[in-house]
Amino acid sequence: MNALAGEANGPANSVRETSAVPLLAVRGLRVEFPAAMGPNKVVLQDISLSLLPGEIIGVVGESGAGKTTLARSLLGLPPVPSRVTAGEIVFRGSDLRKLKESELQRMRGKDLSMVVPNPRGELNPLLTIGRQIATIAQVHLSIGRKEAREKALDMLKAVQIPDPTRRFDAYPHELSGGMAQRVVIAMALVCSPGFVISDDATSGLDVTVQAQILDLMRTLAEKQRSAMLFITRDVGITAHFCDRVAVIYAGQIMEVAPRQAFFFAPSHPYTIMLLAAFSHSADLRRRWTVPDVRRRALPGGRGCSYVDRCPLAQGKCRTEDPPFVELTPGHFSRCHFPVVR
Amino acid sequence: MNFATYIGRRLLFIAPQLLGIVLVSFLLIKTIPGDPAVLMLGPTATPEAIASLRAKMGLDQPIFTQFLFYVKALLHGDLGTSWQTTRPVLEDLFQRFPATVELVTFGLLTAIAIGVPLGLASAVHPKGWIARFADFYGLSAGAVPDFWLALVFIYVFYTLLGWLPPPLGRIDLAIIPPATVTGIYTIDTLIAGDWEAFASAASHLILPVATLGLINAGPILKMTQATVERMLQSDFSHFEVLSGMPRGMVIRSALRNSLPSVITIIGVLYGFLIGGAVLVEIVFSWGGAGQYAVQGVLNSDIYPVMGFVLFSAIFSLIVYLVVDLIYFAIDPRIGH
Repeated sequence: MNALAGEANGPANSVRETSAVPLLAVRGLRVEFPAAMGPNKVVLQDISLSLLPGEIIGVVGESGAGKTTLARSLLGLPPVPSRVTAGEIVFRGSDLRKLKESELQRMRGKDLSMVVPNPRGELNPLLTIGRQIATIAQVHLSIGRKEAREKALDMLKAVQIPDPTRRFDAYPHELSGGMAQRVVIAMALVCSPGFVISDDATSGLDVTVQAQILDLMRTLAEKQRSAMLFITRDVGITAHFCDRVAVIYAGQIMEVAPRQAFFFAPSHPYTIMLLAAFSHSADLRRRWTVPDVRRRALPGGRGCSYVDRCPLAQGKCRTEDPPFVELTPGHFSRCHFPVVR
Repeated sequence: MNFATYIGRRLLFIAPQLLGIVLVSFLLIKTIPGDPAVLMLGPTATPEAIASLRAKMGLDQPIFTQFLFYVKALLHGDLGTSWQTTRPVLEDLFQRFPATVELVTFGLLTAIAIGVPLGLASAVHPKGWIARFADFYGLSAGAVPDFWLALVFIYVFYTLLGWLPPPLGRIDLAIIPPATVTGIYTIDTLIAGDWEAFASAASHLILPVATLGLINAGPILKMTQATVERMLQSDFSHFEVLSGMPRGMVIRSALRNSLPSVITIIGVLYGFLIGGAVLVEIVFSWGGAGQYAVQGVLNSDIYPVMGFVLFSAIFSLIVYLVVDLIYFAIDPRIGH
C-alpha cells in the first residue's frame, strides 16, 4: 500500500459530502425480495450514500452482501423479482424512483452506465463490437450512423484496443477476455455518463490485465469527470483506486470512510476482519479470524446483523440496532462499540 | 472459409449420404414380408407362374445383387416401375411429389406465420394473456391429430357452410389442370394465366394447408417462445437493457439470436412433413407422394417406396443445406 504514503491532501481528504452538491444521493434505500411464504426478504436496507461529481467510491463486501443488487437498483433494474420499496435515489436533483421507465431508459447508458463482468457473455454475439458501441451512441445522442461510427472508433482508441479500425469489425468471439472487457467499458463510457457503476468488472481477468483495465477506467472517468461506484470483493483494488470506501454486509452499509481512514483507522469489526483477511501479518489474521458461524438470514430484526460473527459483541448488540455514527468527518460506522484509536 | 467452398464441401458429401440412405432403405424395405409376385398374380396363380415372374423381376437373386441392379438402374435415371400404376416411378413421382411439396410448403409457411409471432409475443410478455393462450394452443396442437382436425374443417366449411370445395384432390374436376411446368398448381396456373384454375387450386389448398399450419405451428411456437425467452434472460440482453437500449431493439436482437434454433425446427419439420402429411393427403384425396408411398408399402410395391425415400432424402438434404447456409449468413461464429 505504498501508494498511500504522503497522500494526506489527496482526493481522500479533498472530498467531503458537505462541500458541494452531490451528483448522486441515495437515501434510505430498501430493496426487498418477495418470499413464497411469510414476509419479504430484505436484501438491502437503509442504504445512504452520496457521490460528488468525479468522485470514486468503492463498495466492498463478500458475495451475497447485496453489491450487485445495489448497482442494479441504482439504475432502476433490481434483479428480478426484487423491488425497491423505500428510499430515494436523487441524481442531478431528480429522484430516479419517480421517473417513468421510458425516461429512465433514456438515462441508462447515457447519464448512468454500468460496466459488467463476464464481458464476452455481455456482448451480442451476432454484431460487430464497433456496431454495438456505435448503436449506443446513436440511440442516446441522436446522432447519425457515420458520426456514431466515428465516436465508436474514438472510444476503441480510448480504451487502447490496438488497431481500432480493424477491430471495429471484429465479433465478440474473436476477442480475448481483456479486449472484450475494454469493449464493454467503451460501451459504458461512449456517452460520457456522469455516473458509472463498475460491478466487479475486472474479477474474471488475470492480474496484469486487471491492473491495466483499472487504470484505464480511472483515467477515463477522470477525463470525463464521471463519478464512479466501484463494486468489488477485492479490498486491494479499493486501495489504489477509490476516494472513499463503503463496506457492505448483509444488505447494510457497515462503514463508510475516506480511503486513508479505511486503511489506517478502520472502526467496524467487520471492516477490520476484511482488512485482516487481506493482510500480510499472520498475527493480525489470527487475531481477527472470522468465526465459522452462519450469518443471520434476515437483516432488519432487532440488533446488529454482524453480531454472530463479531468478536466484540456484547449483550446490547443483540437487542438494539446499532446507530450509524459519524466518528470523524466523513467517517461513519454502524456499530455500538466502534474501534477507535 | 467463404460461402462457395462451404457449399462445395457440403455438396461433396451429398452423394455418399444418398448412397447410404438408398442402401439402408433398400434392405429395410426388402425385409417387409409380402411377395409382390403373389400379389400381382392373384390368389389363383400357379406356383410355376409365380416362380417365373419372380425370376423375371429378379426376386430370385441374392438381395445384394438386387441392390446392385437397382443402383445401376438408378444411375441411368431409372427408378423402376410401379406394378400398381404400371408406370415408371420417376414419372409418377414427378407428378405427385410437387403436389406434396406445394401442400407442405404452404402448410409450413402458415405454421411459421402463426408460430413465430405468437411465440415471440408470449416470450416478451410471459405472463400476459397471449402467453396463456399460446400455452393452451401449444398443448392442443400437440394433442389434436391432424386428420381429425381436417375432418372437422371439412364438416364445417364444406358440409355445413359450403364455402369451400369438397375434399377431392387439388383442383376442381371440371377444370383442366394447367400445363406442367413446376408441377405446383398455384404456380403453373399463374404461368398459364388461367385465373379460374388458379382460384380453384387455391381454394382446394385452403383446408389442408390450414390443417397442417395449425398443427405444426405448435412446435415452432414453443421453440420460438423458449429460445427468445432464454435470449431475453441472457447476459447480453441484460446489458442492452442496462445500456438503455429501447425495448424494441432488445427484443429484436433476442429474436435474431434465436433464429438458428427456430430455423432448425422449421427445417426439420419441412423434411418430416413430406412423409408426415400423408394422413392429411389421404383425407383430402390429395394424390401426393406420401399417399403414393403408403400404397406401395401396403402392396409390396417396392419401387415407389424406394423412389419416395430417395426423393424425400434429396429434398431433406437440400433443406438442411439451405438451413446451414442461413446459419452461415446470420451467425459470424460459424465457418470462421
